[in-house]
Amino acid sequence: MTFSSIPILSVDILGSVAMVIIAIFALHKSKRLRDLDPDNAVFLYLLWICTGITIFSISRSFGHILRQVLILTGNTDIWKEISPYSGSINTVTFMLVGLITLFFNQIWNINVKILSSRAKTEEAHIKLRDMNHTLEQKVVERTEKLTSSEHKCRRIFEQSLDTIIVTDSDYKVLEINPAGIELTGYSRDEIIMKNMIIGSFFGDDSEWNRINDKIESKEYLLNEETCFLRPDNETLMVMITGGVDYGAFGFARTYHFIIKNVNEKKQMERQIAQADKLAALGELSACVAHEINNPLGIILGYTQLLLKNKLTYHADLKIIEKHVQNCRRVVSDLLVFSRKGSTKMSLVDVNKVVNGVFKFLNKHPDFKNIEINFNPSNESVETQGNMQELVQVVLNLVINACHAVDKNGIIDIETSRAEDERILITVSDNGKGIEKKNLSRIFDPFFTTKPVGEGTGLGLSVGYGIIKRHQGDIRIKSREGIGTTFTVNLPAMENGYLG
Amino acid sequence: MLIFKKKYRVVLAVILILLCPFDLLATQMHSSSEGIITHQIGHIFFLFSMLTLIFTIKGKKLNTQRGWQSIQYSAFFFILWNLNVITTHFLDNQIYAVKLETISFGTLKVFTKTGSPLLTWLYYLMKLDHLLSIPAMIFLYKGLSNLLSEQRKMAKGVEI
Repeated sequence: MTFSSIPILSVDILGSVAMVIIAIFALHKSKRLRDLDPDNAVFLYLLWICTGITIFSISRSFGHILRQVLILTGNTDIWKEISPYSGSINTVTFMLVGLITLFFNQIWNINVKILSSRAKTEEAHIKLRDMNHTLEQKVVERTEKLTSSEHKCRRIFEQSLDTIIVTDSDYKVLEINPAGIELTGYSRDEIIMKNMIIGSFFGDDSEWNRINDKIESKEYLLNEETCFLRPDNETLMVMITGGVDYGAFGFARTYHFIIKNVNEKKQMERQIAQADKLAALGELSACVAHEINNPLGIILGYTQLLLKNKLTYHADLKIIEKHVQNCRRVVSDLLVFSRKGSTKMSLVDVNKVVNGVFKFLNKHPDFKNIEINFNPSNESVETQGNMQELVQVVLNLVINACHAVDKNGIIDIETSRAEDERILITVSDNGKGIEKKNLSRIFDPFFTTKPVGEGTGLGLSVGYGIIKRHQGDIRIKSREGIGTTFTVNLPAMENGYLG
Repeated sequence: MLIFKKKYRVVLAVILILLCPFDLLATQMHSSSEGIITHQIGHIFFLFSMLTLIFTIKGKKLNTQRGWQSIQYSAFFFILWNLNVITTHFLDNQIYAVKLETISFGTLKVFTKTGSPLLTWLYYLMKLDHLLSIPAMIFLYKGLSNLLSEQRKMAKGVEI
């Protein structure tokens, strides 16, 4: 049967060309699919299939077109030569496509496992990320708490009015707060750079040894009173509490000390005790003076009557009169001390008081070799008081100073205004100083270090009574071999009112 | 022979081979018909793999997705195409029931052994096999396009 070959020819050629074009497009799509997710095994599989189909399409189409061309051009023999090769290549390529296609199930299962593993990995990653986030959050919270706690501790350390010192196991100072800097009198750099130990602050090595022994044996120290020595040789009474810290996280052992300055408190306690003692003594003195004063008056009266008659024992009567006079002076002093005497208060210029004493003693022949300097205050130093009594106090202090420096000393007298509306009279000498054991007794009545007959021991106690009556205070600072400073503190008069 | 132990039997066989040599014929001759049989096996194999693909896609319920559905159609057309070419090759290359000759440009003649006009027409139509392979390729392309667009949508969804 005869047919038109045009349909077969055109479908064959056009179809072959179309096969190649569509195969290339499909290959391109599969390539993009694979690029989108390179780890997807199914997409890789589709790329392989499309590659196989493209090779097959090219091979087959090339064969078909070549066949048609050779037959139409009458080269059938050539085609017969080529035909087996073309057919074999086609066979191989579509068998290859078929072979790859057969593995679809396995590839799909592998891909499912890969995707499942990936999902599990992602889930684990999310969990890990969440855990990490939680951990970070916790670290941030803990850090904030730690910072806050550290800040509180630091504030306590910095703001504390008590001294806080942290030392290493050898008592070398590691940390000291500002109160400690002020108390010890050393700078921070000096303490830290010079590797000072806490024992350096003690005035007496034996005291440090005592404290050290105690803390070593008990590992703590509670309210131990001791004495610190500042670089300016000022001694301070302190109360020290401490303990050992074995440290956390493997840190070395440290010691923590809290030191209170009890100097003022101790001084006040001493003053209160002194005041109580003096008050009791004052009562006693007043009583005794009153009882003695009358008999003394009678003795003196009769003695003076007898002296009017020129008797043979006139000289003896004179001695009696002299000693009775002395007794009356002592009794008078006792009465002043016991505040039983009457005093008239008025406005007193302290500069005038001191200047009067200064001039008097400067001209006094007994103290001509002593250098007495007076530095008056430029500000107003007026107070409400009894001028005679104040002169008596200052005179007594300066005379005591003159006795302390012997005959070649220097005495500095100064008046000044303190910040708290007070007037200060300072009498300093470079004499032998007062022994430590006597310091607490110098205001006691009848206490004297002078030889018998040279002093009654009432000067300072009477002066103390006068100043107390003037709402003032006397303080003493003394170091043996260096000198003594008496400071009289009086209320200043401002616009007619006492400060 | 059975009276000897196994190792002695092997030794005896080796001695006999050495004493009595003969032609081994290690490489065999292949007839020209092997080519078409191999080719036909290839087509059957291709057809079988496409059939497997269709059932695998169905078994995994992937045919609910447009991409895999198109690939399933593509496999179906490839099966039809394979059936077509297997039949054509069987008729003209194996049993020589049909023969085609080009008479002139634009004219050809189909000879059948039986002279059946049905077989002639059938053979003529089966020669237009690209009408099956092209749809197969188009469905493959379409399937891949759909898979790509679905994948892109998923990727965008993940990004959002």
